[in-house]
Amino acid sequence: MSSIAVSTKTAPGPLDPRALAGETGMVERPRRRFLPFDPWHLFLAPLAAVMLLPLVWMVVTSLETLAQTRHFPPILWPGRLQFGNYAEAIHKSAFGTWFWNTTVVTVTIVVSNLIFCSLAAYAFARIRFLGRGVIYFVLLATLMVPLQVVLIPTFLIVKDLGLIDHLGALIVPNLVSVFGIFMLTQFFRTLPIELEEAARIDGASRLTILLRIVVPLSLPALATLAVIQFMWTWNDFLWPLVTILTNQNAFTLQLGLATFQGAHQTTWHLLAAANIMSMLPILVLFLAAQRFFVRGIATQGLKG
Amino acid sequence: MRKRFFVLLAAFGLMTSACTGGGDDGNTPSESPSGPVTLTFWHGYSDAEADSLKALLDEWNAANPDIQVESLYVNNDKALQKLTVALQGGEPPDITYQYGSSLPQLAEAPGLVDLTDWVKEPDVNWEDFIAGARTAATFDGKVLGLPALIDDLAIVYNKTLFDDAGLDYPSDQWTWDDLRAAAKALTNTADKRFGFAYPMDASEDSVWHYDPLLWQLGGSILNEDESQAAFNSPEGVQALEVLTGMAVDDKSVYLDIQNSAYTEIFNSGRIGMLMTGPWDLSSFPDVDYGVEILPGFDGDHQTIAGPDMWCVFDNGGGRKEAALKFLTWLTAPDQIKKEALATGHLPIRLSVAQDTAFLDDFGATFPGIDVFAENLANVVQARPVLAAYPSISEAMGLAIVSAMLGESEPKAALDEAAAQSNDALALGAG
Amino acid sequence: MTRFRRFLVSDHLAGWTFILPSVVLVGLFGLVPIVWGLILSFQKAGLISPEREWVGFENYARILSDPKARQAAVNTISYTVLFVPISILLALFVAHALNRKIALIRFYRLAVFIPVVTSTIATGIMFLWLLDKNFGLANWLLDRIGVGPFGFFEDPHQAMGALVLMTVWGWLGFDTIIYLAALQGVPQELIEAAAIDGASRWSSFWRITWPMLGPATLLLVVWSTISALQLFDEVFFVTKGGPLGRTSVVVFYVYRLAFEQGLGGLSLAGYAAAIAYVLFLVILVLTLAQFWLGRRVIHYQS
Repeated sequence: MSSIAVSTKTAPGPLDPRALAGETGMVERPRRRFLPFDPWHLFLAPLAAVMLLPLVWMVVTSLETLAQTRHFPPILWPGRLQFGNYAEAIHKSAFGTWFWNTTVVTVTIVVSNLIFCSLAAYAFARIRFLGRGVIYFVLLATLMVPLQVVLIPTFLIVKDLGLIDHLGALIVPNLVSVFGIFMLTQFFRTLPIELEEAARIDGASRLTILLRIVVPLSLPALATLAVIQFMWTWNDFLWPLVTILTNQNAFTLQLGLATFQGAHQTTWHLLAAANIMSMLPILVLFLAAQRFFVRGIATQGLKG
Repeated sequence: MRKRFFVLLAAFGLMTSACTGGGDDGNTPSESPSGPVTLTFWHGYSDAEADSLKALLDEWNAANPDIQVESLYVNNDKALQKLTVALQGGEPPDITYQYGSSLPQLAEAPGLVDLTDWVKEPDVNWEDFIAGARTAATFDGKVLGLPALIDDLAIVYNKTLFDDAGLDYPSDQWTWDDLRAAAKALTNTADKRFGFAYPMDASEDSVWHYDPLLWQLGGSILNEDESQAAFNSPEGVQALEVLTGMAVDDKSVYLDIQNSAYTEIFNSGRIGMLMTGPWDLSSFPDVDYGVEILPGFDGDHQTIAGPDMWCVFDNGGGRKEAALKFLTWLTAPDQIKKEALATGHLPIRLSVAQDTAFLDDFGATFPGIDVFAENLANVVQARPVLAAYPSISEAMGLAIVSAMLGESEPKAALDEAAAQSNDALALGAG
Repeated sequence: MTRFRRFLVSDHLAGWTFILPSVVLVGLFGLVPIVWGLILSFQKAGLISPEREWVGFENYARILSDPKARQAAVNTISYTVLFVPISILLALFVAHALNRKIALIRFYRLAVFIPVVTSTIATGIMFLWLLDKNFGLANWLLDRIGVGPFGFFEDPHQAMGALVLMTVWGWLGFDTIIYLAALQGVPQELIEAAAIDGASRWSSFWRITWPMLGPATLLLVVWSTISALQLFDEVFFVTKGGPLGRTSVVVFYVYRLAFEQGLGGLSLAGYAAAIAYVLFLVILVLTLAQFWLGRRVIHYQS
């Protein structure tokens, strides 16, 4: 698939309003103003409300008492804010354990991905070695295979390795992601090769070049990979569900939250509080890395 | 070199001799324990239950230095899986708590001890266990577990709502028509109040709430030799029509599709009556509730129980005998009384369940629970214990839910479920 | 050994060293399972117990006679047919709306994207609560405008729709970002030139902008289809395949066969693997077809 003419190196991220000067793709026609504001607000504001409503509603629920959550008609503003729900949610469940497990697993995976994927991507992008083309193709082919095909066999492999019911089951299969290799390879290829060649002539080893030249130039891509991998791992549900069978000490946040829904009752206010807390790291990370992340998705998505 | 070889041989010999046990049927001559035996004991008790269990274990361990019991918490929903994994590794526990419904699968487990002969011992007093629990622990004529926990379904109702509506409380003479009428009177759609509730997730929960009505009318789930479904008989259809009449025609039933909401909706005073078990009572702190036995047809008020059991595995070295000795003690009337008073678990023995002094204490500690305990006498039947049961349950669940949603007619739905069940029974497995 | 040969040899070594950890890991957890899955689909296998029995194509044949497999297939297709066009068209419109410089635009863009960041569990909980038939906010609001109440997840006829609603909400931001970036790549000069020539807004969109969105559209169609066909988390957590099996999709059915029914010792893992492979083939064929179609239809700028 040939790449299209989207200039990505100089355009700021799509969420950045400065991108818009003269680039709306639409002609601004002069119009008489009936309203004191742009009419598009009439669409965008309700849209934003709808997109944010579930989240806002969850925050409100997390600050109510259980009786208030079950009130009909729904109470829109609880009056007294039950911040204590957050503490109670932590105490009444193994929230601390879940949070810790998820953090350990996610950080390990992100770090190992950055290391292993960079190494492999650099090799694919810059080093001519025997079998490079074939191996790259085979790796990419695995991206095409949907999860449920490999779900059962991977479970069996992990079981044979004795990792079931341990955090290792969550970590080991995900130490490398082919998506990461692919993304970084694409990116490394776009870097100007002269710097590396000059270093080569000076006798620098491949590893030194990678660490001292390529990596510093690739921070946006690396950050994107880190954020994406963080998000996927933090929010992963199916794999932990399948591999952590009985060991509640190895539950991740998503697994733990799923069990919060009791057999015959659900403590909505605590569940909402627990959910908000577990979403915070992702939200914070996302807001901080927004520019890289979004640009990363957009540009990588549009390239071949 | 030769020295190392002999050391290896000795080590190998030791290892193989240690790997005895497993796969016998409990009739091998007993080996006397040569030293203190430590039993691995898996249970799923939490909170108050765990505290009570610990107290009992401590009491046993202090009095029996030669048989020490070490407990491990295993969530009941996962007990079968965990056991299967352990069996794969050749290391089953000595005693494990299992759902009664897991019996057909457990029956195939290597090393599971057949208790049929042992329960004949006078200390065990087998006949004293609630009838339904005994049946549920028996598979293919063999007793494979010792009853551990039992409960039953009865009606829990909100006294305040009944008072407000000017209705008489449910009585032990009630018929299902009485319940239906009360439910209708208690329903106020605009105000989101319902007279009754029903679990609608098509799981076994949806099925076992229906079974008492079926049985009270004289119907049964399967035929005599358990080869064909029998729940689509006229009795079965009539039983389902009681429920669909309430759900579809009267609209007096809160249909809990997620099966996770009805307790707190009841607790917030929006449901008049529930058909549930003693485990829910602690979820109703805000309701002035009463408990009554199920309504009946023609004076038959039988109910249903969900018994769980202790299973024993033979790991050699005299551990089986030690485990059985411990279980005899654990399920003796005294310990059962202690546990019941501490946890609200119903007594697993009839003698205790009919002990008036105990019942008074019991009812005083847990309001309404004495009714559940007395109701144990109404547990006369048990659900079929077969490998095909999960498929039958699934078919029945879908039929019941479908009919109660008004998506199908009761007779047609049950006939369809019967056809599917017969297929499963023919296959002999799920 | 010449210096040149030494150089070459070190390159091969360097290359292989760099890729070795990745190759081993992906090989073990990516390639081996693919092959093993295929083998498994020809066996009757237990998940925990090691029994294996070769049964050839019996598992595949069973799919044809299994009403639940058929239901799962129908549900998955209905879901995909609803989800893909709705989410893409909506995203296009929203991207167009977001593609302007007005006050609060940064906030609007953020608001549209935030749902993508929430986990499926959190989304499931939020929607379960919002769309609760008796106590949810949605029905209360609808009631105030005189509509409903709707059963949503509790009504067998509406559950699929509610599922589509929930997942469109969750993914809209992702699709929108892609389209937004693509829209911003449309050169202003072309549009202005067309306007001078008297073209209407609609025709300039259709003739200039839309063709330039080709690659983005293709990407989104392919990606959305693949994701839709593999729907799992939301079904597992929110509807559990119900009510009455109306939202049981293929991956959910596979999971239940292998990990719920199959765990107690019943050998259904092989059957589940067969179903999974059939789905894989469907996805593969569809994806290739979409790419092929896309190649013929899309105009690429050289």
